[in-house]
Amino acid sequence: LTAGTKTTCMKKQHPLTLSSPVIPGRVDELEAKLLAVRRELETNPAVFEATGTIHYARLLLLKPDHHAAFPRTTLVFSTDYDGAESDHLAAIAGALGDFIDPLYDCCEGYPATRTPETRKKFLQAQRAKTDAFYAGAPRRSLVQIRQESQLRDFIWRMLKEEQWKGKTAQQVHQAIRQAVSQKEEFSWANEPISLPKNQLIPYIFYGVLILTGIGLLSLTALFWILGVLAVVFLFVAGWLTMLHYKYELHDKPLGLTPSRIDENHVKILEEYEDIHNQNQFSQLIPMKPGTVRSGTLSALMLYARIRIFVEFVEGKLMGIPTIHFARWLRLDNGKQMLFFSNFDGSWQQYLGDFIDKSGWGLTAIFSNTENFPVTRYLFWGGAYDEEHFLAWSRYYQIPTQVWYCAYPKLSIKNINNNSAIRQELIRNLDEKQADRFLKRF
Amino acid sequence: MESIELLDTQAYLISGYRTMQCSKYLLLQITDAEAAGRFLHDQHTFVTDGKTEIQTFCMNLAFTVDGLRMLGLNETNIQNFTREFREGMTTPHRQRLLGDFDSSAPEKWNWGGPANEPVHILMMIFGLDQKITDALYLEMKAGLEPNGLRELMQLDGQTLPGNKEHFGYRDGISQPVIKGSGRTSASNDYLNAGEFLMGYKNEYDVYPDTPLITEPQGDMNLLPADAAGTGYKDLGRNGTYMVLRQMQQHVEDYWTFMNDQTKNADGTPDEKASRKLSAKMMGRWPSGAPVSKWPDEDPVILFPDEEPSKFVDDNNFMYHDEDPHGLKCPFGSHIRRTNPRDSFEENGKKESLKLSNRHRIIRRARLYGEPIAGSATNFKPAGEVGLLFTCFNADISRQFEFIQYTWANYPKFKQLYNDPDPLIGVRENPEPGQLQNFTIPEEPVCKTITGLKRFVTIRGGAYFFFPSISAIRYLATLKKA
Repeated sequence: LTAGTKTTCMKKQHPLTLSSPVIPGRVDELEAKLLAVRRELETNPAVFEATGTIHYARLLLLKPDHHAAFPRTTLVFSTDYDGAESDHLAAIAGALGDFIDPLYDCCEGYPATRTPETRKKFLQAQRAKTDAFYAGAPRRSLVQIRQESQLRDFIWRMLKEEQWKGKTAQQVHQAIRQAVSQKEEFSWANEPISLPKNQLIPYIFYGVLILTGIGLLSLTALFWILGVLAVVFLFVAGWLTMLHYKYELHDKPLGLTPSRIDENHVKILEEYEDIHNQNQFSQLIPMKPGTVRSGTLSALMLYARIRIFVEFVEGKLMGIPTIHFARWLRLDNGKQMLFFSNFDGSWQQYLGDFIDKSGWGLTAIFSNTENFPVTRYLFWGGAYDEEHFLAWSRYYQIPTQVWYCAYPKLSIKNINNNSAIRQELIRNLDEKQADRFLKRF
Repeated sequence: MESIELLDTQAYLISGYRTMQCSKYLLLQITDAEAAGRFLHDQHTFVTDGKTEIQTFCMNLAFTVDGLRMLGLNETNIQNFTREFREGMTTPHRQRLLGDFDSSAPEKWNWGGPANEPVHILMMIFGLDQKITDALYLEMKAGLEPNGLRELMQLDGQTLPGNKEHFGYRDGISQPVIKGSGRTSASNDYLNAGEFLMGYKNEYDVYPDTPLITEPQGDMNLLPADAAGTGYKDLGRNGTYMVLRQMQQHVEDYWTFMNDQTKNADGTPDEKASRKLSAKMMGRWPSGAPVSKWPDEDPVILFPDEEPSKFVDDNNFMYHDEDPHGLKCPFGSHIRRTNPRDSFEENGKKESLKLSNRHRIIRRARLYGEPIAGSATNFKPAGEVGLLFTCFNADISRQFEFIQYTWANYPKFKQLYNDPDPLIGVRENPEPGQLQNFTIPEEPVCKTITGLKRFVTIRGGAYFFFPSISAIRYLATLKKA
């Protein structure tokens, strides 16, 4: 095991979002350049491969003529990457320098003298803060995802080509382990990894344990804590009631069904959908005005971050098993919400899954944005109004001029399964565990 | 539960016309809209409805978006139909979703493709036997030309005894039943009317998108009000969308593939193994018996003395408890992936069933070509054979297209890696390096069939509006002077 291989494994992924106003009069030029990049990417993804740490990248324009009416045309460059932000920015400023120069040349404030240092300084100033970020395979680096995919393919071929009849699952597992260990290119696989696990039950357990402990030490303290919790609960209930009567009852839903959405708008979006087995989704929606709405959303984003950290670490976001990465953020002084995701399968499946599995969560977040289907008490209604919700989603979806995926042939389920294969390969498994291991192929 | 208005609903949605052995689908073009309108008006009493008892023949009508335009429906109202229907089956995006590439590309179709003359109306006639069908056809044909209708093509269809299709399988066993249609069914097949009819609530408990008349024209009194309460008249109520795809079946390629994959060490064919591989891919045995209950052999062969009806229509099975690892019925098999029932790995049984039921279709297949009950030993048809795949759904995108793309073509279904639906999802010319496998879970190690071949070719197809009978009457009034 070399030090070099160790550093490529189990690294936290991060979202980068850079937002840069475009110089008036150069919008068309920039858009043309972006579309040229898109065409180039179809055959040659080299530019985004250069850093070796970018899982996904997208470049798109937010525009005044979008349904959200962004105040001025702005270039957004976003990545899902491994490692530290500073290193990532340096890599873009360096290895991707020739690529970004002609694009940012169309944006306000791009330095005339372009060195890795001046570029990095510029990029740093363009960063937008992410409200919430989800990764479907947390802490799996790009290198690791590719390595584990090769490992799985190697074992799969071995299982297919050799005769296993009459062998126990344990014997098969041992034979695979043996074969892999003899392969120089899989030396990294000897490094044990620990995959993130859903911590909800331990957290609840410790919570109850701590409360019990406090109760044993001092009943008064326990009553105080329970009292505070009761007040928080009442506050939330009161907040929802206030939200409903003062705001939701006066909200105006979009009221369109999918057939009424502007033809050309959808056509542009569909033009680049379902080419691979993965798709992207970019949505720009104006926030409903006022601090009550922005405060509600901030609280929900905090809630989302907590649940993503504690629970949604095994490849499912609120039960949806097809999302690689997703992020929420606010731009234009909190007046606009931007939502990005990278997912497996079609748009219809993705949005349908959202309604079927987490309609309430979706409703709570997006009912704070304009024209969302009629919502009651933040969590009810909304997305469950299927036809209107689908139409609303399309309405605020915006074209993504450039989209890059480092592993278009892997689903998020494949990626997590590959990690489990790698993890279980070097363990000593009993017959039952070995059987489960073999069912992963 | 709301009863559906069967008298106003065309019967083909309600009944598969199993007793009607023969059928002709006439692809019609409108040459004189005014005359065609009069013809429709005269014919509407002749259209088979869902309530009246079926006699010796049936007739139903469906319309493409071009047909509705020709009849005079104005552009504002046309725009109220769903995108899928308006755009049709052959846009580049739909081509990707449906997997219509290579020999199945729309440019090569016999009808419905960009190179073909546009179809306006589909007239479907059915008869108890060939004689009745032919007589009905001649009578209809005489009325076409004088009424501004030109026959572009006719697609003959038939049903075979035992409902067999050309590969040799009993077809059309699992069908959803519409709530309020007067029929009942096991709860997992019993769905809200709005899944299959516009104007009623669907499985999400909302009204499906429906073509409203937002710019009044024609005799508006013929149309009901929008059930969703918008105040507009609803052209869609008691109607639905119909998908028609002509699928050529390569019976010889199919059984040759199965035989090659299973032949003995000395190269001789192993009929039993061939039949078994084919059944694993299908998810049912040729008789119709489910593989999830009979994993090793067709029960009709195992128990020759038993009454076959015990096995052949068996739709009473689930996967979650009975076959969680696909050891009996592989995850990748055609029937398991196109209706996963209670077995999504990330959901419980009840939730899975609910999700499966949001993507159901009512299927109506009819065969064309010289019948051949295909098998491992009988697989050389005389000439082209195939089926006219027809299905009904209120939401083409969420139902038909979803099944075809997300469940059949998409090779990542469930936890699979490179497994398209072996029957309808395989690419004829995959991208370089793209594997196309069928995984058969076994213990200790699964068996994988690689290099799947495509056994069907799409020869034509279109999305149709399958209106209510009053909507047909209404359409007839649009060009009335």
